[in-house]
Amino acid sequence: MAVLRTLLYLFVYPGLLFLFAYSTFCEWFDRKVFARLQNRMGPTHTGSFGLLQPIADFIKLLAKEDVVPAAADKGLFRVLPAFGLAVVSAAGLLLPVWNFDLAVPSFTSFQGDLIVLLYLLSLPTLIIFLAAWSSTNYFSSIGGARVLTMLFGYEVPLFLAVLSPAILAGSWRLAEIAAFYQAKPLLILPNLLAFAIAVVAVQAKLERCPFDIPHAETEIVGGTFTEFSGKKLALFRLMFDIEMVVSSGLLAAVFLGGFPGGALVGFAHLVVKTLFVIFLLSLIRALTSRIRIDQVVTLAWKYLAPLAVLQLLIIILLKGLLS
Amino acid sequence: MKFQIPIGPQHPALKEPISLRMTVEGEVIVDADIRLGYNHRGVEKVAEEKNWTQNLYLSERICGICSHSHSTCYVQGVEKLMDIAPPPRGMYIRYLVSELERVHSHLLWLGVAGHEAGFDSFFMYTWRDREVVMDLLEMITGNRVHYAINAVGGVRRDLDDLQKAKVLEGVKILRERSVYYFRIGASEPSFVARIAGVGVLPLEKAVALCAVGPTARASGWARDVRKEDPYAVYGELEFDVPTADTCDVLGRVVVRVKELLESYKLIEQMIHKLPEGPIAAKVPRKAKPGEVVSRYEAPRGENLHYIKSNGTDKPERLKVRAPTLANYPATVEMLRSGFIADIPLIFAAIDPCICCAERAVVLTSARSGEESIVRLGDLRRQALERHQKAPLKRNAVWPF
Amino acid sequence: MRIAAFLPELLRSLFKKPNTVDYPFKKLAVPEGFRGTPHLDPDMCIVCRACERDCPAEAIEITAVNEAEKRFRMVIHNDRCIHCGQCVDSCPTVPKAMRIDSLFEIADDSRHKMKEDWVYVRAVIKPKAPAPAPAGESPNA
Ligand code: SF4
Ligand code: SF4
Repeated sequence: MAVLRTLLYLFVYPGLLFLFAYSTFCEWFDRKVFARLQNRMGPTHTGSFGLLQPIADFIKLLAKEDVVPAAADKGLFRVLPAFGLAVVSAAGLLLPVWNFDLAVPSFTSFQGDLIVLLYLLSLPTLIIFLAAWSSTNYFSSIGGARVLTMLFGYEVPLFLAVLSPAILAGSWRLAEIAAFYQAKPLLILPNLLAFAIAVVAVQAKLERCPFDIPHAETEIVGGTFTEFSGKKLALFRLMFDIEMVVSSGLLAAVFLGGFPGGALVGFAHLVVKTLFVIFLLSLIRALTSRIRIDQVVTLAWKYLAPLAVLQLLIIILLKGLLS
Repeated sequence: MKFQIPIGPQHPALKEPISLRMTVEGEVIVDADIRLGYNHRGVEKVAEEKNWTQNLYLSERICGICSHSHSTCYVQGVEKLMDIAPPPRGMYIRYLVSELERVHSHLLWLGVAGHEAGFDSFFMYTWRDREVVMDLLEMITGNRVHYAINAVGGVRRDLDDLQKAKVLEGVKILRERSVYYFRIGASEPSFVARIAGVGVLPLEKAVALCAVGPTARASGWARDVRKEDPYAVYGELEFDVPTADTCDVLGRVVVRVKELLESYKLIEQMIHKLPEGPIAAKVPRKAKPGEVVSRYEAPRGENLHYIKSNGTDKPERLKVRAPTLANYPATVEMLRSGFIADIPLIFAAIDPCICCAERAVVLTSARSGEESIVRLGDLRRQALERHQKAPLKRNAVWPF
Repeated sequence: MRIAAFLPELLRSLFKKPNTVDYPFKKLAVPEGFRGTPHLDPDMCIVCRACERDCPAEAIEITAVNEAEKRFRMVIHNDRCIHCGQCVDSCPTVPKAMRIDSLFEIADDSRHKMKEDWVYVRAVIKPKAPAPAPAGESPNA
């Protein structure tokens, strides 16, 4: 029974199958919202309402010719897309959907899984950097340098922002943090500032406008992905989609009270809350223009990080008051 | 570590082929170089083979965005050569289309600027509302891009009252929207951060490098052929030449939006003042021998056509100086100080129309200084030969 | 400087119908006087060749099939045609032998399929407007 359950975790929910299906749905949602915000139609014809468009795109990319540059580091170049996909999928397993028992820690839910999840979500950035560097192209190298520069910008505010609800809940375990806010929903409010900061940081992590600097097509062609084509590009795109699902799931678990109610009701919570976060992400994407790399660093260190520290202070004071 | 990155001839930011070779140090540009000649057009040669009427449509096809500018510039010259004056109603309709074209071109540019900066919503919205003016143009002339409204001696289509009313209505919507986009463009922090202080071209540089059009006006140099040398109906109309003194891309946005507002004013005046009468004059098929230079303020700057006639029904020579060509030296200057991220914006800010400015390429040998003209077929053969002889790059060298 | 200056407009669009048209399935009407594809009305053509001479794209080709029978063949190469409508302006007959309709979806996979030709006997109707002499007055007046 336990084996079956584990296999279910790994491959069905919240494992690979679910992540694949749900991430393509989220991409569709993102594209549709983005299009409607711009008074366009968005995907319309593949499947009803164009729901199958992301899958069609994925399959089409899989079928395309796959070119590896002669000067590239072939081993790294081949392995990285799959590795990136594996990392974000592994991160997806840690989302507290139904695979936990508050009383007993298990291998998908334990003290400190918040940190592990954040760490797993940082890895794709490094993978993208390595991918850019191994493809030996000027545009990719510039893109890779930009990826790292951005990482130093948004990572600290993100960690600080996620820290404050965890401190208030007094736990490093996602399931416990979520349970804490389910019990005291009013305490979600003091964390709003941290939520806003985290949304901006996640936007940067996902390299979406205004932070789509590493692959800004009008500046450096495809940036990090200039040399990637066919299957590898398809995997990278899927990686970003899954990363979007996982990071919005993380924000939902930490800031919006998680996914209570077992598998079914919890699933409804998951969908509603992640879509809400993704809607915010799309809104930011539609609202802004791409900024310059130096402006990202300034934004992160001048505004986001101090605000996150301020939020931490507020939370610590509040915790003192409450206890 | 310095290295050169090739922006173009194929690059997502460029819609037409040109090569910007940027020497960069990290993210900072240290040097810029522009190479032209990826497009051989032979327009001027073809013009020598066609009669005055046919050339009208040929000159219109020099550019897709300012098609009417080229055709009007040409037809002005031909009319001067033939010594005929088009009837006033024809003139008003012709320049009405000119101003509508300026509106569509500037709105298009606003969208492109948004797109180059990654501000896609701005791009989508400006282009959505640009459809209003495109529809007006289609209604008046019968087509969206190549209006073909000019005829030697006037215009080909008249304007009725319903159309006049529709134009006025459209202008009202457009004015409101332009003001709105100006507010957005000048107040959205992420967009302003990208364009303020970027691509600086000081006034003295603009003068020294002979910048034209909005690029010059954004550096505080009020150059406008419509004002300096009022041709056709512009002497009878009231309008200002907007300038900005910030000398950067933001200034170019401001100038263009203000020009839009001036154009709306001009359109309204033209509709109200539209005289009665015929729309075209009778013209001879042949022009007297002579030569003429025609100037026209296109949306991108001063457009110049030189026409020489030898008394037949075909020109002996037609020389076109598109405004983009005049702005290239200034572009190199603007690109020299900035980040990689600014390249598309700075380059787009002159509203480049690369193929309009391309003619033929004369190869000059670096050693002997000898000039040679190569036929396309030979060039292709040489390229193939060279490609076949070139050693296969097994171990490509990677500098890092 | 206003953060999120675009927000009201964007949110309004979210609940509006898209402004774009689902093109191949829905089509917008072209305005009256749209310049589409040129067509010949063979009953009216007096074979003055004004259209052939003024066509900037050399898209019109008139050849004699049988000089004695006054039979002619006109080919319009729609692949070369730039839809300027000059041929209509140049045509001297009343009503015009050359017409332009509002058809614009004429793309095809081969340029040879885009030709249209007519073989006809030259019309003998006297044009109400005088046919322009080859090097006389311009027809577009
Ligand atoms: S529309 Fe213009 S290009 Fe086409 S056949 Fe007529 S004259 Fe020639
Ligand atoms: S101009 Fe008119 S009448 Fe003359 S050949 Fe052409 S179609 Fe026939």
